[in-house]
Amino acid sequence: MMVDLIYQLFPYAIAFTIPLLITSLGGLFSERSGVINIGLEGLMLMGMFVGAFVISSVEALYPTAAVWIGLLAAAVIVALFALLHAFACVTLNANQVISGIAINMIAGAVTVYLARFFTGSGNVQIIRGMPRITIAYLSDIPILGQLLFTHTYASTWLILLILALATFLLYKTRFGLRLRACGEQPHAADSAGVNVYLMRYMAVLISGACAGLGGATFIVTLSGEFNGTAAGLGFLALAALIFGQWKPWGILGATFFFGFATTVANVSQVIPVLAQIPGIYLKTFPYVVTLLALILSSKSSQAPKAIGEPYDKGKR
Amino acid sequence: MKKWLALLLVVVFVFAVTGCGTPTPPADDTGDDAGDAPAALKVGMVTDAGTIDDKSFNQGTWEGIQLAAGDFGLETRYLQPGGTTEADYITEIGNLVDAGFMFVVCPGFKFETAIFDVQTRYPDAKFVLIDGFPHAGDWNPVVNDNVVSIFFAEHESGFLAGLATALQLREGEVGFIGGMEIPPVQKFNWGFQQGVIYANENHGTNIVMNAENFIYEGSFDNVAGGQVLAAAMYDKGVDAIFAAAGGVGIGAINEAKTRAAKGEVVWIVGVDVDQYADGIYEDGKSIILTSAMKGIDVAAYDMIEAELNGTFPGGQILTFNAANGGIGIPKENPNLDPEVVALVAEALAAMAAGTLVVSDVQGELLR
Repeated sequence: MMVDLIYQLFPYAIAFTIPLLITSLGGLFSERSGVINIGLEGLMLMGMFVGAFVISSVEALYPTAAVWIGLLAAAVIVALFALLHAFACVTLNANQVISGIAINMIAGAVTVYLARFFTGSGNVQIIRGMPRITIAYLSDIPILGQLLFTHTYASTWLILLILALATFLLYKTRFGLRLRACGEQPHAADSAGVNVYLMRYMAVLISGACAGLGGATFIVTLSGEFNGTAAGLGFLALAALIFGQWKPWGILGATFFFGFATTVANVSQVIPVLAQIPGIYLKTFPYVVTLLALILSSKSSQAPKAIGEPYDKGKR
Repeated sequence: MKKWLALLLVVVFVFAVTGCGTPTPPADDTGDDAGDAPAALKVGMVTDAGTIDDKSFNQGTWEGIQLAAGDFGLETRYLQPGGTTEADYITEIGNLVDAGFMFVVCPGFKFETAIFDVQTRYPDAKFVLIDGFPHAGDWNPVVNDNVVSIFFAEHESGFLAGLATALQLREGEVGFIGGMEIPPVQKFNWGFQQGVIYANENHGTNIVMNAENFIYEGSFDNVAGGQVLAAAMYDKGVDAIFAAAGGVGIGAINEAKTRAAKGEVVWIVGVDVDQYADGIYEDGKSIILTSAMKGIDVAAYDMIEAELNGTFPGGQILTFNAANGGIGIPKENPNLDPEVVALVAEALAAMAAGTLVVSDVQGELLR
């Protein structure tokens, strides 16, 4: 019984996890370079809008390719939008938290404005989302096949691939080492010849691209409609980033935990076994666990050391 | 120095944004053909939570006002409050009245206490409150002569949708996803069940309803929740889901579209307005079987018309139901057979005539 339930819910939990994961990964790039990115929610919302708008515009011409065009467009345009954050935080040395809040507020207003301007409505709907597929051969693998390779989305595998590449990039390449150095000891990095400003700009750009991709993925897999809100998913991704201790595999675990717990809470009412548990416990469970985990790990927090500090060449 | 500049920029941004948050959108002026009538009526509206084009309550109300404006040559304007508190509502209502909009329509029960306040503050203005009655916070209706309060017979609308669903499917299983567990949503649910039972008893259909598939998500905005709830129901063999849940319903519609695109036969029954267009997945085919509609636009239109004719039903609590054309299913239902549409029309006529009575309480029904 319990096993059947896990089989049944697993694909939906993964679908919910993926947009969180990629957004959280975006936050990871930004914060490992030393720039707090509380604007993930706004960036994600922007991605939702761009994704929905581009897909709804091109899907008559390219019915199957439209979702991919939308994902790509969201990543590119939101990366450009994130330049605002980079400009404020890196070039102008502004307070990073305030800039992030501004990003969230701008995104909330500007997306609805643009949606109205271009489509005449604040809600932008797409006709065809990402198709759900069952992967041949792999789905025949016992247990894993049913958990991972049935009812899955191509976008899920793309994003897991990005996660693997990002891990490689961060830990096995010169670029990754420099980026992390900028978040830990920017002055040391600078004295070693690294352009801290450039690294931080790139990190924030990557973070925008990832969050935009996350928002668009949410549109093509889960909601099918931009409706002017990211419903706190960006903040959840931020929480997962901290819960996952700013590490790629940590955030994979954290986002999956959120994804699975939220899916269980969402679906509990129609599953008789779970329906006996009052919904309020299931719905608050992931947040309570996060709070506890943060309290327990606060002594040994792995946060980048220079996070939140604008880089000032003259200060040592 | 640079820091101050940055801070200044941020502050400017913030103001720019909050400035956009409570806009005074350009009014759709349609006062051209007012001709030489004495001072034309100016009709205002304050939106509830959500935007003017929410494909639901606000939009329906506004469409009714626009229709009346076109027919009678009125000036109209809507304002979107910055929040959803009583104070926000009173501010915007006051702004409209101050600007000479002496006829204000407010959709949603959240306006109840605000209308209670403004009905005495602005005795010369007239107010239409949809889905609620003015009270001081104690649920004691106080409807002054300048206010009309409008309710809908959601159970009758749900009944017709349930009947149509059962007749079209003939055999199968249905479920229900509601938003918050509040009276309008509950009445939709109970009416829907009665419609299905009626079809089973009188038209030989065989539609199953399981208690575990009749649930309230608890909000109107959890899109992902609606999606996974619908998925779980379809996995269990449910064929059609009645989604009376705002944004939660959008998630359910999306799940149905994903499945339909793969060739599965699944349905959603829409709510409030004709949601057919929301459910299109390819070549104009939609997963919206039919919709349980509330004539919000009709109500707004009728009240404006009454005011112009000098018959504004001030002080009353009105119910829009089958008898006065306030509820129904869409005129066009491409997914329903003509026989089904005819049988539903028959039931609607019987309801209007009073020979078919739909209960608006739970009784023996599921949740």
